[in-house]
Amino acid sequence: MEQTAHFYLGLIPLMPLIGAVLIGLMHVTTCRGHRFPDKLYAVLACIGPVLACIMAFQVFTILKTLPVEHRILVHKVFTWFSVGELNISMGFMADPLSSLMILFVTFIGSLIHIYSIGYMADDKTYAKFFGYMNLFLGSMLILVLGDGPVVMFVGWEGVGLCSYLLISYYNEDSSNVLAGNKAFIVNRIGDLGFVLGMAFLFWAIGAQGFDYISLKANAHLLPQATAMLVCLLLFVGATGKSAQIPLYVWLPDAMAGPTPVSALIHAATMVTAGVYMVARFSFLYVTVPDAGEIVAWIGILTALVSAIYGMFQDDIKKVLAYSTVSQLGYMFAGVGVAAYSAGIFHVFTHAFFKALLFLGAGSVIYAMHHEQNIWKMGGLKKKLPVTYLTMLVGALALSGCPPFSGFFSKDEILFSAFASGHKAIWAIGVLVAGMTAYYTFRMIFVVFHGEPHSKSSYDHAHEPPPVMTVPLVLLAIGALLAGFFNLPELFGGHQMVSSWLEPSVLDHHAHAEASTEWMVMGSSVLAFVIGFSIAYVKFAKGAQLPVFTGFAKFAYNKFYIDELYDMLFVQPYKSIGAIIWKDFDPNVTDGPRKAISWLYGAIGDAFRLVQTGYVRVYAIYMVIGLSLISLLISQTLN
Amino acid sequence: MFAEWLYFGLAALSVLGAIGLILFRHPMNGAMSFVVTLISLAGMYALLSAKLMFAVQLIVYAGAIMSLIVFIIMFLNIQESDLPEEKGRGLYLVGGVVVIAPIAMFLYKIVRTLPGGDTAIVGNGFGEVRNVGMILFKSWLLPFEIISVLLLVALIGAVVVAGKREVGK
Amino acid sequence: MIINYLTLSIILFCLGILGVISRRNVFTVFMSIELMLNAANLAFITFARLHVSMDGHVLAMLVIAVAAAEAALALAVVILLHKHKGVLDTNIFSLLKG
Repeated sequence: MEQTAHFYLGLIPLMPLIGAVLIGLMHVTTCRGHRFPDKLYAVLACIGPVLACIMAFQVFTILKTLPVEHRILVHKVFTWFSVGELNISMGFMADPLSSLMILFVTFIGSLIHIYSIGYMADDKTYAKFFGYMNLFLGSMLILVLGDGPVVMFVGWEGVGLCSYLLISYYNEDSSNVLAGNKAFIVNRIGDLGFVLGMAFLFWAIGAQGFDYISLKANAHLLPQATAMLVCLLLFVGATGKSAQIPLYVWLPDAMAGPTPVSALIHAATMVTAGVYMVARFSFLYVTVPDAGEIVAWIGILTALVSAIYGMFQDDIKKVLAYSTVSQLGYMFAGVGVAAYSAGIFHVFTHAFFKALLFLGAGSVIYAMHHEQNIWKMGGLKKKLPVTYLTMLVGALALSGCPPFSGFFSKDEILFSAFASGHKAIWAIGVLVAGMTAYYTFRMIFVVFHGEPHSKSSYDHAHEPPPVMTVPLVLLAIGALLAGFFNLPELFGGHQMVSSWLEPSVLDHHAHAEASTEWMVMGSSVLAFVIGFSIAYVKFAKGAQLPVFTGFAKFAYNKFYIDELYDMLFVQPYKSIGAIIWKDFDPNVTDGPRKAISWLYGAIGDAFRLVQTGYVRVYAIYMVIGLSLISLLISQTLN
Repeated sequence: MFAEWLYFGLAALSVLGAIGLILFRHPMNGAMSFVVTLISLAGMYALLSAKLMFAVQLIVYAGAIMSLIVFIIMFLNIQESDLPEEKGRGLYLVGGVVVIAPIAMFLYKIVRTLPGGDTAIVGNGFGEVRNVGMILFKSWLLPFEIISVLLLVALIGAVVVAGKREVGK
Repeated sequence: MIINYLTLSIILFCLGILGVISRRNVFTVFMSIELMLNAANLAFITFARLHVSMDGHVLAMLVIAVAAAEAALALAVVILLHKHKGVLDTNIFSLLKG
C-alpha cells in the first residue's frame, strides 16, 4: 500500500511535466512545417492532469487507511545536491495538508484543461498554450508536494515563470507583455523575501536537516527574534505570490492572459501557494503570535481594499480578480489568527467557486466574441442558461450565501477571528462579506439581467460547446457541496477537513458558546442579505453605464496605487538606471576597463617593434638569450 | 711532433676558411673559402684516426655537397645587383662577436674540464670501413633507415618545390 | 691534445653562428649553417677518438646525410626565391612582421 503511494508520489508531478515536455518538443519541431492536429495536443494535454488527479486520489485514500499519527509519506527520489551541512534531496511528501491540496489542484486543473480545449479552439499556437498549462500544473504540484523549502522553491519559481509566460500569452499586444512583466517582477520581489527567509531558517536550524519534518522537530530551537524575521520574510514571499498588500498589483493585470489561465492562476495554482506556504510553516508561525497578527491584519486589509476596488470595476474579469484578492485576504486572516485549517478550507472551497466563476466568465466572453466590459453585455440569461445557472451558484458561493460552500469556509474564518479575540478583524471581515455580495451580484445582474446593451453581440451570443459547459456543471456541483465537507458541529457535522488536517497544521482551536457562533453566523448572513439587496435594487432592472465621481472615482482608479508605485519605485529606478547608463557606466565603470585595454594596446605596440619579421633578427634574439644563459651558468663553473 | 704541427696548420686553415666564408660579399668566394675549411677538417679527421670519415668528408662534403652549391651559385648567374646591400655588416659582426663571446667562453669552460687524451693514431681497424659499417648496420640500423627516408623525402620535396612551372608562361 | 680539437670545434661553431646572424645573403647563411654542422661533426669524431669508440663516426656520417638532404631542399628554396623575387636577401621573408 505505502509502496504504491510512494510510487505515485514521484509520478504525480511528473505526469503534467512529461506532457509539457512532449507537447513542447512536438510544437517546436513542427511549428514551421506540417503541424499535428489540435485534437492530438488536446488529448495529450489532458492525459497528464487527469492521471495525476487519479493518482492524487489514490494517495489520499491510502493515506486515509493509515493511523492518524502515521499519515506522512516521504519519497526521496534522489539526492539533489549536498554542500557542507546542506543536504537537499529531491523528495516528495504526502501528508494530510499536501494530499488535500493535490487533490483539488489536480481535479480543478484537469477540468480547466478540458474547458480550454473548447475555449482555445481557434487559437494559432494551441500546442504552446497547453504546454505552458501542463508546466504550470506540474510546477504547482512540485510546490505542494516538495518535502522541504528548497523543493518547494523550485515549484514556487516554476509557477512564477509559467504565470509570466501565460499572462503575456497574447504577445502581439505589448500591454499584455507588460502585464506579464509586472507579474514576474512583483513576484521576484516576493521571491527575494522567500529566499532570505529560507536562508535565515537554514542558518538558524538547518544543520540537522532541511526538510519539513526536521524543521518542525527543531523549530523550538529557533530564537524568538529569528523566528519573527523568518516568518515575516516568508510572508513577504507569500504576499508576492498570493497578491496581498503591498504586492497585489500584479493580479488584476494578470487578466491579460486567456481566461482559463486566469482560472488556473486564481483557483488551483499560484495564488493559493502563499496560503499553503504559511500553513505549511505553521510550526513557525505558532511560535511567534505577533507575526500571525501581522499576517492577519495585512490579509483583512487586503480583503477590504480589493473589495472596494471590486465594487467599481467594469471588466468582468477584473471584478473576479479583485474578488480573488479579497478572498485571499480572508485566507490570510484565517491563517494569521492561527486557524490554519479554516484558511486551507477556504482555499479548497474557493478553488471550486472561483474556477467556476472564471470559466463562466470565459463562456460569457467566448459567447460575446471577446468582449469583457460588463456594461456592453446584459440580458444574457436567456441566451446562456447553463452559464447563467452555474455562475449563479458560483456567485452565491463567493458571496457566502448559506448553504453554498463559501459560506461555511468564510464563516469559519470569521468565527475563528472572533473567538480568538480579533474583534476588529472580524468586523472588517463582515463588512467585506457584505461588499463581496454587492459586487458579485452587481456583476451577475448587469451581465445576465436587464436589457441587452449591445444588440448585435447579443444576437450572436450562443451557449458554448459541451466541452466547456460540462466542467462548469461539475464545478458548480463542487461549489455547491464542497462546504459540507467541513460542516461545523453546530449543524451536526464533524468538521472533516479540519480533523483531517490536524496532524499537518498546528491549529489553534478557539472555543466559544453556541450562541456566539450563531451570532457570528447571523451577522455574516445579514451582511450577505444587505449586499445582495443593494445590488438587486440598483442593478436587477437594468442599469446604465455609471459615471464615477468623488470617492467612487478614486476607487475606480484603484486609489491610484499603480500610479503611486510608478512614481515611488518605477520612475526613480528608471532614472537611477539612466544615470548609471549615461554617466556612471561610461565614465566610472568603464574607466579601469579602458585603461586596461589601453595598457594592453601600448604593450602590444611596444612588442610589435620587436617583431620585425626578419628571420635573422629572431635568430639574434635566440643567440642573445643563449648568451645570457651562458653567462649565468658560467658563474657557477670555475 | 709532426702531427701537432699538422694540427695547427690545418686548424689555422679551417679558421681562415670560415672567416672568409662569413666575410666575403660574393657567395662564390664564400663557397670557395668554405671548401678550404672542409678539406682541412677532413685532414683533422685523418689525424683523429677516423679513416672512413676522412674519405667521406672529402668525397661527400667537399666533393658532392659543395659542388652542388657551387653549381647552383653559378647556375643562378649571380650579378652584383642581385646581392643584398649589407650596409651595417661590420656593425652586426662586431655586435655578434660580443654576443657570442659568452657562449664560446661557456663551452670552453666545459671542454677544459674534460680529461686530456693523446691523439696518436689508433690501429687495428679503428675507424675503418669494415668496423664502422658493422656498427652502423647493427646498432644504428634504425637511425640509418630513418635518415634514408629523410633523404628520400628531401629529394622529392626539392623536386616539388623547385620544379614548379608557372602555367601560361 | 683532445682539448685543442674541441676548441677548434667551438671556434668554428661560433663563426657559424656569427655568419647566420650577421649576413643577409642566402647562400652565406646557408653555408654558415653547414659550417656549424661541420663543427659538430668535428666534436663527434673527437669524442670518438677520446673514447676509442666508433659510434661518433656513425653519428657524423648521419649528420652528413642530413646535411645533404638539407642542401637539396634549401637550394630548391633558393632557386624558387631567386625566380620569384630576383634577389638573394633573407630580409624579403618578412611576413611575420607584426
